[in-house]
Amino acid sequence: MEEKNSRRDFLKKGLSTTAFAMLATSQANAFSMKNPGRDARNPKYIGQVGKHFVMVLDLRKCIGCQACTSVCKVENEVPDDQFRTFVTETEIGEFPDVRKAFLPQLCNHCENPACVPVCPTGATFKREDGIVVVDNTVCWGCGYCINACPYDKRYFNKRTKTADKCNFCAQRVDKGLLPGCVETCIGGARVFGDINDKNSDVYKLLSNFSTTVLKEAEGTKPQVFYINLDSKVEELFSTTQSLDDIVKAEEGFQREWMKTREEAQSNG
Amino acid sequence: MDSVNTIISTITIAKPWGIDIPNYFWFTGSSAAAFIISSFAHVFGWEKYKPIAGVSLLMAFVLLVAAPLNLIDDLRQPGRVLNFFMYGWENFPTSPMKWGVLLLMAYPILIFFEAQTLYRPYFVKQAKKGGLLSKLFTFGNMDVSKEALEKDHKKGYILGAIGIPLALAVHGYTGYIMGAVHANVMYHTPLMPIIFLASAMVSGTGLLIILIPLFQRFLSARKKVDRDMVATLARLLSWFIVSDLVMRFLWLTFSLTFGNGEKYALYSYFTLHFADTFWIDYVLCLFIPLIIGFTKLRNIPVVVYFGGIVTAVGVWIFRWNTVIGGETIPRTTPGYLNYAPPSFGQDSIVSVLSNWGILFALVCAVLLIFPWDEEMEDCYEGVENAK
Repeated sequence: MEEKNSRRDFLKKGLSTTAFAMLATSQANAFSMKNPGRDARNPKYIGQVGKHFVMVLDLRKCIGCQACTSVCKVENEVPDDQFRTFVTETEIGEFPDVRKAFLPQLCNHCENPACVPVCPTGATFKREDGIVVVDNTVCWGCGYCINACPYDKRYFNKRTKTADKCNFCAQRVDKGLLPGCVETCIGGARVFGDINDKNSDVYKLLSNFSTTVLKEAEGTKPQVFYINLDSKVEELFSTTQSLDDIVKAEEGFQREWMKTREEAQSNG
Repeated sequence: MDSVNTIISTITIAKPWGIDIPNYFWFTGSSAAAFIISSFAHVFGWEKYKPIAGVSLLMAFVLLVAAPLNLIDDLRQPGRVLNFFMYGWENFPTSPMKWGVLLLMAYPILIFFEAQTLYRPYFVKQAKKGGLLSKLFTFGNMDVSKEALEKDHKKGYILGAIGIPLALAVHGYTGYIMGAVHANVMYHTPLMPIIFLASAMVSGTGLLIILIPLFQRFLSARKKVDRDMVATLARLLSWFIVSDLVMRFLWLTFSLTFGNGEKYALYSYFTLHFADTFWIDYVLCLFIPLIIGFTKLRNIPVVVYFGGIVTAVGVWIFRWNTVIGGETIPRTTPGYLNYAPPSFGQDSIVSVLSNWGILFALVCAVLLIFPWDEEMEDCYEGVENAK
């Protein structure tokens, strides 16, 4: 009996010591309220303390050349058919009273982002300088943030298989450079800077012009501001009208051709 | 103004959740319902449900063991599951997904222990005959005295009582995940957890209506279907359908009529999908089973089985329409998005079918391991003796 008891004792003690040791080490090295990079105060994760980066998009100057779209893909190694930023091209009015309108879109780096609080792994977070980033070494790819973003500015990166989005080119900004899209914007429509700096271009633009943000009602407080944003363009976001390829999807090619023929006939 | 605005080119972002997610919601929901039905006998003491309480509990268990596999399959980085447990705890109050995984772990453990308590005397009986596995499942407690059984009963009651809120939470949280997404007009309603629970009760009861007669007819010693039980379940199903319809009525009437900007998108969605939503989801899968349960039709088992199948399928379709349908509603692109699940690979038709295969294997395993048949027989004998 005694021998049996001592063996049981040994097992008990051994197991509890191992369990305690495992727990203790995991507490020390791994378990985190945030994520390892933020806990280590890695500058990449903390950002430039004291600054607050925003972007102003002056739509009067955008010509829809998509230079920003392409440089972003190169700079950030964005896979084929995926985009961190792009320019939506729209047509407003009917001939002869018609004009083109462009809407460059990117992550809004919201003050109150919808994507960050729902992240179950702490992979996505807001740096202290306002840039919302994704740690693609932590993200487990559940897609909750992608569905939470009202602006559809997140996607699963085909290569890393994690959530991905615009990071204001933090890798460049931290070296004192401008984001790729701002650097390459030929019309100077994209302006980037620290809004806490009263000499910055963004501060001056936001002080001197009326600006607006996308989907204000979502309450996310976007930090990408637009000058001269036409509400008609934003309306297109939520419209479910049948247009172009959508007509094809919903009604089939034949219906579309018939419609066109009928229209042509009625117009003589 | 719509007619004069045209998008010439834009980018459509792919949505993250595919076929795995509605399937997962269906599994957890049906599990919660099966658990609640088993609690009718174990916690509320309704003797009528006693014979099926054990099997319902086992079904609740297997459904919940199979369900999370859908989630792992849906992850783009399933190898990083540990990250969930180690990081991001500051988001605990605001990320329902964080709550869910904890619930998903606690709930099956609780059901397992409740089932073990319920079947312990039967395991003891088999262990005495030399069943090794049965001996293992007695957890070393071979006492079948009156006091010991009384103690088991009490333990089962306590586990069941804790289990009810847990079952409601394990499915309710899935609705919470959806309701919390304010960017999606279909998901964003505080009613979503309740709607999900109400429809879960419908699908779970529908599933039991199909499974229990199958077990009784082909796998039990009696080889006979309890027709009274089928009728009882059909009536219960009808009441659950009533609660489901009330919830959906509140949701749709408010959001389609009195909603803010989202009402236009929802109105357009339901106009586009009127035929399949109304005729299939509501008329075929809810109203017809409702009528079956509330009329004498419930005494004809074949009709009830039909009702059970269509409700179970109907709720699956409802999950699909909500999760996938919600994702197809445009947010930054005009017009609806399209989604067709791939045939093979992650998040595909084959992965969902495999999940059902796992469920089937688990059903077989628990039916082999747990002496459900003997327990059910004892319950019926108890009822007959009482008469």
